[in-house]
Amino acid sequence: MADPSFRLRVVYGKTGRLRFLSHLEVARACERAVRRAGLEYAVTQGFNQRMKMAFGPALPVGTAGLAEIYDVWLKRFVAPDAVLSALRDTTPDRLTPVSALYVGEREASVAVALTLADYEVVVGHPGRGPVRMAEALEDVISSEVLEIEHKGARKVYDLAVCLPEGARMSEDDGRSIVRLTVRMGAQGSLRPDALVREALRRAGLSDEPVSVTRLGLRPEEARA
Amino acid sequence: MSDLWARVEPLLAGVERPARYIDSEFGAVHRPKEPYRVALLYPDTYELGMANQAVAILYDLLNAADGVSAERVYVPWKDMATAMRAAEVPLFTLESVSPVASCDLFGITMPYELTCTNICEALDLAGIPMRAVDRRNDDPIVIGGGPCAFNPEPVADFFDAILVGEGEDAILEIVEAHREVKSRGEDRSAVLRRLAAVPGVYVPSLYTPADASGPARPLEGSGAPAIVTKRVVDDLGRFRSPSCPVVPFMDVVHDRANIEILRGCTRGCRFCQAGMIYRPVRERTSDAVVRDALLQLRCTGQEELSLTSLSTTDHSQIEDIVRRLSAALRGRAVTIGLPSLRVDAFGVSMARLVSEGSRGGLTFAPEAGTQRLRDVVNKNVDEQDLIDTVRVAFGEGWRRLKLYFMIGLPTETDDDVRGIGEIVSRVLATAREVVPPAQRGAIKIAVSVSTFVPKAHTPFQWEGQLTLEQVRDRQRVLRETMPRKGVDLHWHDSEVSFLEGALARGGRDLSRVIERVWRAGGGFDAWTEVFSLSRWTAAFEAEGLDPVTLASAPRSTDGHLPWDHISSGVAKPYLIRERDRAYAGVVTPDCSFDGCTACGVCPELGVDIVLAGEARG
Repeated sequence: MADPSFRLRVVYGKTGRLRFLSHLEVARACERAVRRAGLEYAVTQGFNQRMKMAFGPALPVGTAGLAEIYDVWLKRFVAPDAVLSALRDTTPDRLTPVSALYVGEREASVAVALTLADYEVVVGHPGRGPVRMAEALEDVISSEVLEIEHKGARKVYDLAVCLPEGARMSEDDGRSIVRLTVRMGAQGSLRPDALVREALRRAGLSDEPVSVTRLGLRPEEARA
Repeated sequence: MSDLWARVEPLLAGVERPARYIDSEFGAVHRPKEPYRVALLYPDTYELGMANQAVAILYDLLNAADGVSAERVYVPWKDMATAMRAAEVPLFTLESVSPVASCDLFGITMPYELTCTNICEALDLAGIPMRAVDRRNDDPIVIGGGPCAFNPEPVADFFDAILVGEGEDAILEIVEAHREVKSRGEDRSAVLRRLAAVPGVYVPSLYTPADASGPARPLEGSGAPAIVTKRVVDDLGRFRSPSCPVVPFMDVVHDRANIEILRGCTRGCRFCQAGMIYRPVRERTSDAVVRDALLQLRCTGQEELSLTSLSTTDHSQIEDIVRRLSAALRGRAVTIGLPSLRVDAFGVSMARLVSEGSRGGLTFAPEAGTQRLRDVVNKNVDEQDLIDTVRVAFGEGWRRLKLYFMIGLPTETDDDVRGIGEIVSRVLATAREVVPPAQRGAIKIAVSVSTFVPKAHTPFQWEGQLTLEQVRDRQRVLRETMPRKGVDLHWHDSEVSFLEGALARGGRDLSRVIERVWRAGGGFDAWTEVFSLSRWTAAFEAEGLDPVTLASAPRSTDGHLPWDHISSGVAKPYLIRERDRAYAGVVTPDCSFDGCTACGVCPELGVDIVLAGEARG
């Protein structure tokens, strides 16, 4: 019989200057935080034994996240509040865990279960006045297909599939805020800042997104 | 002091690997309000610099001192440097994002000759005058240290002072001396004179460099010592290994917990500068190593532990250390690494102990292809020992082996180079003998061949280095005689080794060449993808210096060397004697096993060998 293990789901933020970390860097930092916390973690079998962990979908370098997720399998049950407190002490600031709870062993992985991601893209600077891009954004979205070149590779996104809920625009202190829901799939997920850049380009504006934040991940049937 | 983050942040979206510049790692120390501030530079990128244990030790010691803070600085990669210059952002410390120029002391480690152009880059980006002579009272004191301090002359003009030897005791004495003079409101020249009185500190501006008429000598009335003798820590037990060093986010070189289990190596390899300048051997006790290792693993969360030193399996209690650590770490997916293995069954048994059933790769360094040449360089490895070791290792399940060799060693002939191919053939044949036929395809021998570069303070410091053409010829012989199947052959870039040779034994006038290369766009010369020999040869020519003479012309043991005023404690007559024994093919035993060989270090420095156990075996 296999050793018992307890699958703990940790929700954490990736904010401030730590948004410049890559997914691998975040994963390594979280793994080391678990080790520092003195938790008894399960390890994978095989030639190179590793801590048994699973991460949610990757966030690009430069994109912040408010509710990112990893699962870690523990060899002993420890009260979630105690785990959360220990992890808060051992995780670098700005990668701070916000919740920890146990989930069933048979529950689907984060990547399979949570396929929708809500994003906020901020354009412009406080006090400078809103960036007039609503029309251009609608124009991009209604064009159905978006072609993006990234690091020399060309990717084509079917926007009807990638953007199930359209864009919501608002203003705050003179900045324009775009909220988007992106569906993630096996072909990779559309970067919301790429969509906004395309809208800015079509509107003939030289502005750039100043921040991109993933607000959370949710399953297909839920609504924001 | 000002926080530059608001000006740095907008640059990060446009550069590679922004994690190099964001600080915030676990273990980073933030003490921005301390009255005395030190910036510690490793003159290369973050991912290389974070591996440096000396900087980690100094960071730890300084941040534990009253009224002192230390922050890390690395050289921004070219994309970031360009962005910083365009935005007029000066070189900044990671922790408080403040200008390096606002610190009291700018410490620069000098790990490798080819980082010299990065020293120019860092000083320029910091807005600190490149040459010590041009600095004003409010500029930081720029202090160097590290292996290249043993011939500091090529970069001496860039430094106010250079510490020769180990820094644990000296760094705090330097800080105290600087604070004391500053508190009296005295000027920069008073600071320099006071620093020159700290044992082990060399203040280049107080010396006339070596020339044909004699070695470097102190200016009259300067009070500086005629010979600057290296600092050495008598007993490593006085200092604990850093218990909670900074844990990088990035995938850095040697990303692991490191415990220095011993310092110094007296095996006496005649080409090895580290073996001469870090004498004598001083071991930490098994109890201290185990205690500090477990503490560091717990505090950092690292998944790998390396027991570092120049010859780890020589530690008199290594078996006890490895057994205790293996037991304590079982089932925690933490691996233990031994960076250097003895070529014998004991080395393999230590590798077996740390491997917990998995079989990665083993690394051995025979260095030369024939017994004759191994005797010349005093590499006490017998070919039969190597073959026996390989038989044991492959018989026990190892399938990958890495072997280090050198070409260009003194007295080497083509036969010695062919000997490398022959010894690798015998290693392969032995491995195939003991590995079951179905698994023989998994046998991989990686052969890494570097070019010998004569270094200061070694018995070979007077030797000429092979010219580029000679190196290419020997590499051709190597390729022709190396078995192909099952062997991956790598050799070092001959142009990089040639330049390293020219810089390693140069004098004060080389600083003009270095600065010229930097001004012509040089920097990160240790990176082969940006290294340009033609930029260097043009600069040598413009300054009227010949790099071929510097690297390849043999020197007389009667002449003056640019580093004669720097003492490692090893007596020159010992080096000459060792050189004579090399040419006679006579080996010299290791004093930490077999008794004193009279190198002079212990009486000169007032120290002794420190073994943790009864004896080495």
